[in-house]
Amino acid sequence: MSAVDQMGAAAWLCLLAPLAGTILILLAGTRISRAAAAWISTGSVFVAFAGAVWAFLVLHSQQNRSGTIWTAWTWLQAGSFKVGLQVLVDPLSTMMMLIVSGVGALIVLYSIGYMAGDDEERRYFAYMSFFVFSMLMLVEGGNLLLLLVGWGLVGLSSYLLIGFWHERPSAVRAAKKAFVMNALGDATMALALFVLIAHSNSLAFTTSFATAGSLSQTTVDLVALGLLGGAVAKSAQIPLQTWLPDAMEGPTPVSALIHAATMVTAGVYLIARTNPIFEQARTIELIAAGTGALTLLVAGLIALVQTDIKRVIAYSTMSQIGYMFLGAGVGGYANGMFHLMTHAFFKALLFLGAGLAIHALAGEQDIRKMRGIGALMPFTKWCFLAGALALVGVPPFSGFFSKDPIIASTVNLGWYGWVFWVCGVVGAFLTGIYTFRLWFLVFTGPPSELVSSHFAAPAAADGNGAEGRGHGAHHGEGPWTMLVPVGVLALLATFGGWIQWPPKWEYVTDWLKPVAPTLAAAVPSSTQEYVTSAVTVLVGLAGIAVAWAMYGSGRIAVPKAASARQLLEHKFYFDELYDALFYRPTAAAADWLRRDFEEPVVLQTGPDLGQTTLDAGGLVRRLQTGLLRTYVFALATGAAVIGIVFLLVK
Amino acid sequence: MLGPGVAWYLGVAAFLFGTGALGVLVRRNVLIVLLSLEIMLNGGNLALISFSRHAGNGAGQIFALAVMAVAASEVCVGLGLVVALHRRRLALDVDRLSELRG
Amino acid sequence: MLTLAVSAGGVLVWIVWVVAGFSCLASGVAVVSFSNPFYSALALIGNLGSLAVLYLLLSAEFVAAAQVLVYAGAVVVMFLFVIAYVGPRMEAPWAGGPTWQTLGAVLAAGALLTEIVVVIGLEAGGSLAHSAHVGADFGSPAWIGRVFLSDHLLTFEITSIVLLVAAVGGVILGSHTRRHDPGKRAHGVALEREPVGDPR
Repeated sequence: MSAVDQMGAAAWLCLLAPLAGTILILLAGTRISRAAAAWISTGSVFVAFAGAVWAFLVLHSQQNRSGTIWTAWTWLQAGSFKVGLQVLVDPLSTMMMLIVSGVGALIVLYSIGYMAGDDEERRYFAYMSFFVFSMLMLVEGGNLLLLLVGWGLVGLSSYLLIGFWHERPSAVRAAKKAFVMNALGDATMALALFVLIAHSNSLAFTTSFATAGSLSQTTVDLVALGLLGGAVAKSAQIPLQTWLPDAMEGPTPVSALIHAATMVTAGVYLIARTNPIFEQARTIELIAAGTGALTLLVAGLIALVQTDIKRVIAYSTMSQIGYMFLGAGVGGYANGMFHLMTHAFFKALLFLGAGLAIHALAGEQDIRKMRGIGALMPFTKWCFLAGALALVGVPPFSGFFSKDPIIASTVNLGWYGWVFWVCGVVGAFLTGIYTFRLWFLVFTGPPSELVSSHFAAPAAADGNGAEGRGHGAHHGEGPWTMLVPVGVLALLATFGGWIQWPPKWEYVTDWLKPVAPTLAAAVPSSTQEYVTSAVTVLVGLAGIAVAWAMYGSGRIAVPKAASARQLLEHKFYFDELYDALFYRPTAAAADWLRRDFEEPVVLQTGPDLGQTTLDAGGLVRRLQTGLLRTYVFALATGAAVIGIVFLLVK
Repeated sequence: MLGPGVAWYLGVAAFLFGTGALGVLVRRNVLIVLLSLEIMLNGGNLALISFSRHAGNGAGQIFALAVMAVAASEVCVGLGLVVALHRRRLALDVDRLSELRG
Repeated sequence: MLTLAVSAGGVLVWIVWVVAGFSCLASGVAVVSFSNPFYSALALIGNLGSLAVLYLLLSAEFVAAAQVLVYAGAVVVMFLFVIAYVGPRMEAPWAGGPTWQTLGAVLAAGALLTEIVVVIGLEAGGSLAHSAHVGADFGSPAWIGRVFLSDHLLTFEITSIVLLVAAVGGVILGSHTRRHDPGKRAHGVALEREPVGDPR
């Protein structure tokens, strides 16, 4: 097979393997065991990863890496507007393919252990495969329409998986909330695409990007704004961020895969992919950067007071995506994408590690009750530490290599660049505090009562045959299916950042150059780079120190600051605001419509219509007198009338 | 043609028809209704014959003969009905025979 | 007979016409008005006879003969038989003054009558004055027979089928299909309400 054909085959394999997995599980239904469904799903995602690796290697060996599109068939043709089922293999898409399928495969493997024993395991694994397929469609789609299709499908998968435990009303509510907010973004994206079609008559990437230069400033601003709306909704940035913490109702592997590693990063991918359009609408791009900066601060502050382990990590995700938006918004797409990659590693690691702890404690997620579990779960403790250090950006962990260039790239932009710089540094400080607050509380110190009670019987009997403990009856800290992915991710989080250290070696930036070249304004000088790195690392370590002082050793008391604490605990009252602004008026309007329109008018129309018909029938019935004379009379009169009409007409 | 023109015959025919119609509409006795029907048919016949004479075309007379045959058949069936009604002790009054009432 | 009339100069024809026409109309009204159906049937005979005369005046000899034979001879006799079988049924149609129904009926009948006159008058007014000239054999039995068996054969055949069907129907309707009176039944099962395809 020629190289080009190989890339195409690899891309199709990568895309379709998880879909095949889903369909297989759906069709087999209850005929296969739950474990079989789990392994089918895991296998399909590993096959997708193999395909992604294959495509990457072939592309790597090419000279010209500008990207090729393969069309399976033309789907829609209206005049000169053509859209087909296309996959695209270029540096950006292969990078995303590797991340999505690689991290996805590890997480689905982990799920085998985590979800073991659940009644509806098959449904879970079908959804997981479906999600991986949707995300791959999003990143591999060869035109804007398929990107939108993938976009919508990941939103659907997210809804299905958040509400997986549908017996829980809170989960169902959270799923609805996520879906509705994502739908807002989808709507703005669709509008942007409509404008683009109207002007360029095409949804192919190259054509529509080419015409971006010839559009009026307002038009291109609108298009970029619409795309940004979609990105903001999907990536849970302010103002559409309230769904992400609630999405933690889903199982932990779902939070890891969808709400940390892949789906929420789709917004960043979108900006990188459509960068020609954004570059024409520079203001909007900077608004994206500003949104990122704001979100990273707000999320970091809220994370300081959260008591649910998953919510802390969720707000951390929100904050880190803020960094990615900041990086992509100022024009450093490679920086944003690199941070996306390292974030996928360490954030998934954090979630899965938390999942190990939650699993061991039979579902407990409150960090105040989970204290000291690190003493009894050393593997988890050290892997989590690796992830935490990567998150804070301590060298040589991966976060250091990806976060600092983002902050450094803002310096050459003017006054707002400095604002972004300060935000980034303060954000690093906050990251240090909340991350290590979490680590010190949960993984250091003596075990709490709850923890001890969960580990008492299995620890004594070395984990043999302790039934009825829910999750507690394992050898060691968990089955190999859960421990291996955590270990792999810990390695990636530690060493995965070494592929790029600007300005010394910049493999990722070079790789993405054909598709998403960094803007000149976003390239700092070496000095600026080093200074920023030093400052950020110091600030991060300071944060760790503060956290140690407050939570690790108890030297300083946690400050009371009641009003500030209340503000943070209520997440800056965003939920209450949206409730008052949007939900209540809509609900009131719906109520009014139901009371005053639907019940009296619509529902009554049916019976009324029926009654009217019956009454009319009753009237007509009077004609059937049964008397011969009336009938003959009618005949005669009819004949007379016809005669008159005949006369008149003639 | 000797005597009155065709128009006079047609006038008589029309009057016969009208009288027969009146009888059908007003009378309640079934037999008298049938008789009035005969009057109407005869009125029609007279008109046919008149037009046949006026146009010199024999088709009118043929048609009148056919009408006569049909009238005879209809009377036969109608009287059969009357006899059947009488056998079942039902009143021979069109106003009472209203089982088709809806 | 016709030649005789011609030689009398048409006056005789007029007189015959007036007498026949008048008796036709009078007997027609009589049929409709009598309360005793027997009298109505007898009036019908008079009507049919006058009509036969009118047909003769219109050169339809065969039809006139058929009228007397078939109508007066068969149909009216059938009527008289049935009237005699059914017995006297007196009805006073004009008693109690005119009801809405009678008024409506009169109006309808009157409207029909007027319309017929008007239509014919309007359509054919002028041309009714001059009739066609016909030969001596017009309306004669031989002529009718020839026409029946050549131009109008289909009419002839269909008429015979209609008569056959009516005869069969009449026999069935009038036959004794039930051995007993509908009021009494051997097994005590009520029979009057036997549904005949009643939609209810």
